[in-house]
Amino acid sequence: MRLQLPDGTIREIGGEVRTVAAMLTGCNINPLEVIVTKNGRLIPEDATVSENDEVRVFLVAHGG
Amino acid sequence: MPAGKKECIPPCDNCDEPAIFFDPGLQRHLCERHLCLGVEQRVTSALTRHKMVSDGDRIAVGLSGGKDSSVLLSVLSHVIPEHWDAEIIAVTVDEGIAGYREETIQSAVSLTQQLGIPHHIVSFQSLFGTTLDSLLNAHPLRACTACGILRKKALSDAAREIAATSIATGHNLDDAAQSVLMNYFRGDFERLLRDSSSREDRGFIRRIKPLHEVNEKEITLYSMIKGITGLLPECPYATTAFRAEVRTLQAAIEYHYPGASRRIIEGQESLNEQAKKTIRPGTVSYCASCGDPCSGPVCQACGLLSGLNKGD
Repeated sequence: MRLQLPDGTIREIGGEVRTVAAMLTGCNINPLEVIVTKNGRLIPEDATVSENDEVRVFLVAHGG
Repeated sequence: MPAGKKECIPPCDNCDEPAIFFDPGLQRHLCERHLCLGVEQRVTSALTRHKMVSDGDRIAVGLSGGKDSSVLLSVLSHVIPEHWDAEIIAVTVDEGIAGYREETIQSAVSLTQQLGIPHHIVSFQSLFGTTLDSLLNAHPLRACTACGILRKKALSDAAREIAATSIATGHNLDDAAQSVLMNYFRGDFERLLRDSSSREDRGFIRRIKPLHEVNEKEITLYSMIKGITGLLPECPYATTAFRAEVRTLQAAIEYHYPGASRRIIEGQESLNEQAKKTIRPGTVSYCASCGDPCSGPVCQACGLLSGLNKGD
């Protein structure tokens, strides 16, 4: 899986199917503080992601 | 999750569309359409239950151009005309924060033009003779405290200028929970029990917070789905604030104890109701410098500015 973090960092993650929440907490990210897309579509934190997915994580901007 | 488990996106609880949002507190999944409907329904419900709007009102909506205030203006521009005969005017305060405010003001201007809402822009420079950047360069002030005091004054002055009957701000559920926690951490009981929504009869313009039952993630998703704002910069001073630390703490508490933020606010509201029975409202005086209603001899904004002029 190709994972793009809010700061633009890209990580290649292998392994089994996992939930978005598990993937995020594994990167020390609180799922409540971000929005996630899988292959360009918004997904909830209990959706799953796997090997061939392109996942982007956006920070929920504060204020305003 | 065990290896080999099938991939899935849970469906919306209200239809067959794939969910884009899971609310752990209420244990519900929502698709794009139902998330947006839910936000609009909660805003309408808050406006009605808390009697935030009446026919004939002229509502000044504080519009920074960021996601919260932009979503607030967008939702109000749809729900107000459906239920009330009230007018909406957007008010933007330009604090003078280089590299940040230009972009959000442009976003605010575009949104008001798109919605056909009158837009009134005021600046720290024209009101106070300085920008926030200059003020902070010249004086060792806490950025968010000074900005908050002056922005509140600027918004009140602008609201009076356009004869507004109330000021709507984009404070959300997370903001409210963080404010309660911050007041506890500071031991600021007076501020904890202050209720700005009930002070209009004492010279203050009523302040309403129609998004106070909607969390920050829902607002961000609503903004993305409706294309209200793009990715905007964060205020460069925000990371220095006490609120930034409390926000991280509150988000962690909410993640591990879903619904905690709502319970924190409900607890504060109960406390406020109890306090109203025993604590009499403080006396209101009028600022010796600008004439605004306040609780001391001068208002916080005039106190801050006169202190700077004396070199305090």
